[in-house]
Amino acid sequence: MKSIRKIDAIPKLNGSWKFLDDYSYEEMIHGQLLYSTCHHGFIKKIAFPDGYNLSEFTMVSAKDIPGENIVPEPECDQPFMAEKEVFHFGQVIMGIAHPDRKLLREFISNTKIEYEELSAIIDIKECLENQKNAFGRELTIDHRTGKKPDPNWIHHHKIYYTPHQEQAYLEPQGMIAVWQPEDKIMFVRATCQCPFFVKEGVETIMSDTIKEAVIETSEGIGGAFGGKEDFPSLLAGITSLLSYKSGKPVKIVLEREDDIQITTKRHPARIEINSWTDPETKKIMKIDIDYRLDAGAYQTLSPVVLARGVLHAISGYCIPDAFIRGRLFRSNTPSNGAFRGFGAPQAFAAMEAHIDDIAANLKVNPYEFRKINIFKSGDEFPTTQPILEDHLSDCLECVIEKSNYLNKLKEFKEWNKTHKDKKGIGISIGYHGGGYTGNGEKVLNSEVKVVIKKDATVMIFVANTDMGQGAHTTLAQMFFEAIDHPREKCLVQLPNTSKTPNSGPTVASRTIYIIGNLLRKFAFKIKDELGFENLEDYVASNQNEFPREFRMNFVQDPSVVFDDENYVGVAYKDYSWAACVTEIYYHADTYQIELTKNWSVMDIGKVVNQKIATGQAEGGVLQGLAYGLCEFFYKPGYGRMHGFTDYALPTTMDIPEINIEFIHTDTPIAKGLGEIPMDFPAPSVRNAFHNATGVFIDEIPLIPERILGSIKNLELGI
Amino acid sequence: MKFIKPENIDSLLENLEDNKGRTYFLAGGTDLNVQIKNGIIRNPNIIYINHLSELNGINAANGSIIIGATTSFHEILESKIIRLHLPFFQKSLESFASPLLQNSATIGGNIANGSPTADVVPLLLILDAEIELSSKTRNRSIYLKDFFNGYKQNVMESNEIITKIIINKSAEKNFITFYEKVGSRKALAISKVSLAGMKRVSGYKITMIKLSVGSINEYPRRLFKVEDYLTDKTASEIDFTKVEELLDKEITPITDLRSDKEYRYHVCVNLIRTFINQ
Ligand SMILES: Cc1cc2nc3c(=O)[nH]c(=O)nc-3n(C[C@H](O)[C@H](O)[C@H](O)COP(=O)(O)OP(=O)(O)OC[C@H]3O[C@@H](n4cnc5c(N)ncnc54)[C@H](O)[C@@H]3O)c2cc1C
Repeated sequence: MKSIRKIDAIPKLNGSWKFLDDYSYEEMIHGQLLYSTCHHGFIKKIAFPDGYNLSEFTMVSAKDIPGENIVPEPECDQPFMAEKEVFHFGQVIMGIAHPDRKLLREFISNTKIEYEELSAIIDIKECLENQKNAFGRELTIDHRTGKKPDPNWIHHHKIYYTPHQEQAYLEPQGMIAVWQPEDKIMFVRATCQCPFFVKEGVETIMSDTIKEAVIETSEGIGGAFGGKEDFPSLLAGITSLLSYKSGKPVKIVLEREDDIQITTKRHPARIEINSWTDPETKKIMKIDIDYRLDAGAYQTLSPVVLARGVLHAISGYCIPDAFIRGRLFRSNTPSNGAFRGFGAPQAFAAMEAHIDDIAANLKVNPYEFRKINIFKSGDEFPTTQPILEDHLSDCLECVIEKSNYLNKLKEFKEWNKTHKDKKGIGISIGYHGGGYTGNGEKVLNSEVKVVIKKDATVMIFVANTDMGQGAHTTLAQMFFEAIDHPREKCLVQLPNTSKTPNSGPTVASRTIYIIGNLLRKFAFKIKDELGFENLEDYVASNQNEFPREFRMNFVQDPSVVFDDENYVGVAYKDYSWAACVTEIYYHADTYQIELTKNWSVMDIGKVVNQKIATGQAEGGVLQGLAYGLCEFFYKPGYGRMHGFTDYALPTTMDIPEINIEFIHTDTPIAKGLGEIPMDFPAPSVRNAFHNATGVFIDEIPLIPERILGSIKNLELGI
Repeated sequence: MKFIKPENIDSLLENLEDNKGRTYFLAGGTDLNVQIKNGIIRNPNIIYINHLSELNGINAANGSIIIGATTSFHEILESKIIRLHLPFFQKSLESFASPLLQNSATIGGNIANGSPTADVVPLLLILDAEIELSSKTRNRSIYLKDFFNGYKQNVMESNEIITKIIINKSAEKNFITFYEKVGSRKALAISKVSLAGMKRVSGYKITMIKLSVGSINEYPRRLFKVEDYLTDKTASEIDFTKVEELLDKEITPITDLRSDKEYRYHVCVNLIRTFINQ
């Protein structure tokens, strides 16, 4: 629980911590991506501007690739660079490098590409409404009883839409490749979440021309949120190729405008729900969920997002008869990818909205209705995974009480009778399965390494990166707290694929949950093996044994058995649980929702570092609220946002009072924290708006223009 | 690109005389630098003006408040003189961008850049502000309402620069004031609509009203027709369909990436109504 200070806090404040663009190498030149401005078409001609000496430039395109032109992904269908045909705006066609960054930018912005245009789907609705656009494997979770719905049950049918979301990391995507011909090593410095993914990317594109790719992250990774999970593999591949061809170190740092427009986003979703509720017992008896994601032009890692989406689609309710169908849809837009939550925020946005829709129809308050339907130990998920604890319902009870929800319902109702502006309060719940889905962690077989030096310093080698979320501070803390070692003598090393074993990617809320708990076990194991009480004393009196290296692998709990074919079984060993209440103030003149308060109660198991955990939770909750309220990226007819002027991230002035509480913390196991705070808050905004105005809006975010469209002809009273 | 840093105002004005092609003044640079980076402006002639003390500062003289063109919004927000005489103006500017931007952005730059969304303009319009334009041969003062004549167009000659903004000391006196800037968030937002208003009421009658809107026309404008209609009426005498009719003639909201025509229109109507009933 100790709130030790983050190791990067002071160097970040004084500016000494190095981010990717702070690194420089002798003779380094600059690269940039030349990408398609056409949504779908054949490349006819690439015309470079006059007045430049072309021999000063290094250029690479698909035909220069010595290895394979396919980015390694769960579904390998995306090329590093387009060949003849481009399938989306933003698809990389060439990598170009030059010693002068500014001149290069000018050169590229004046380069004209001619296309033979083909038909393209760029609109989200156009993509998701047409079943012909479905591609890839369809996932189903079939927990049907085969019985017809009782004619007395009340049928609800709704379609919910969720938008793209931009990760908005502070530091844009960037990569430096340094070709070392003497030993045939491609050294890559990366701002990324998954050094071993980047390694695979570079080795795929370079093939036998290199002996090995060695990836080391920059000291500081300025945020990622999932955005630096797979795009870095593509970027590293092209940067490496440029370095190989030019024989010089090459740095590519994306301009913000390019980064926003061409890199991965959260998948837009269309989620259609049919449900049947028994009006007597107020229990949902049957549900059918059609979960669709706009994957973009390629599948890449979307199948994994889809998997998590369907596995979280039913939210936290026990519904005896359930059918969930998940599909990916193709469009001519850049592939969507990983983003904190990974399919779950879309699922909760729909299901938590639906719950309020049914409750309103049955005239039960949203809390009571949830209480009746929420799952408890003894129930099961639609995959038949048993529910082993009541912690989700504990989160709900706790947040209802803390927020004084029931009294506020009455209070706001009174207040609203006499005011043009309105106050509202809304609930939503959620959960997140920790680690890779199903058998994923078994396959990953993560390994960690520890070296204990002669002065009893413990060096921890893991591939998991610290992108500002405090992972390296917390991971070290889990090790040294276990054996009571001084914190300054326990440090996580900068991930480098030639020194660090593959402990897997920094994704899926797995870093503390899988790797942290593994390190804790590892500390105990080393202690047992060496038989010490105090490590420093032991090392001092057994100097000849040190330095010494130790390694350990993750072993999955045998209870995790998942049938990937039929989606039956235990999808995740441990779940983090959450519930929140959000209060809003609705400004009638401007159709704007102002967030006033949020209470979020989460069970993330043991809280290793209270301050870091609270910070992560607050940030995630805000990201979730903004997803429901104001962040929108694509406007039909006007296209994608270009930067932070238009893409409305909330500022500190927009942040409501956020009140975080962790419950059930008295346990040795730290569960996933990374994603859960983002998963559940969005629908609470929508539900609060309904509470304030009586109007349901089924598409987030609730921007004022959309609200105006929904209430134009509706008298709100007063 | 040509870059000049003049010694003083005289050498600046001298420079403008043999000025060929469009010259840009670099004040806070918060518009200019963005436009250069985005390639909207290429190879510009630039004259740096932010160091010229003649153009900077806030003074009270002869019943007027005089604000130098390169005075930053931060200086305006901190100014005791402004707080004393123009508290509404000062308070309204708190929603300008963010503290970081307020430190660099200047009042002259906001006006001259001529964006339909320039936040200071609607406020200055209802305060009946004048601006002083100077060249080597003359200084002239014009009402700000007469400055713009099209989208990003104004009456400034190529040898002129804005030197001052002049506001009557008692411009706010005995007025009921209203300002609302509507953006996608509370700070760092480009206005989707803004309404500035001042009125005097006697009994229940509006004896005088000034309204101006931003982000809704090619440049921020006073709503003179609506003002005329509302003057000398009590709230119950006001027919809102008439107001909307007049408004239709005075505003031309558009749909863009940031917002929609309908939204801008309805918010404008709502805000006027709220102000009238206030
Ligand atoms: C992140 C961000 C947020 C912003 N938020 C807002 C906001 O909330 N509200 C808002 O209104 N604006 C906003 N802006 C726009 C900008 O900050 C303002 O318009 C600012 O007042 C411009 O002043 P400046 O001194 O920086 O002008 P500069 O960029 O230096 O100059 C702008 C233009 O004015 C001309 N000019 C400057 N001074 C003079 C002069 N004395 N005489 C004649 N011409 C002159 C220049 O030639 C140039 O064309 C924002 C900009 C950014 C980058």
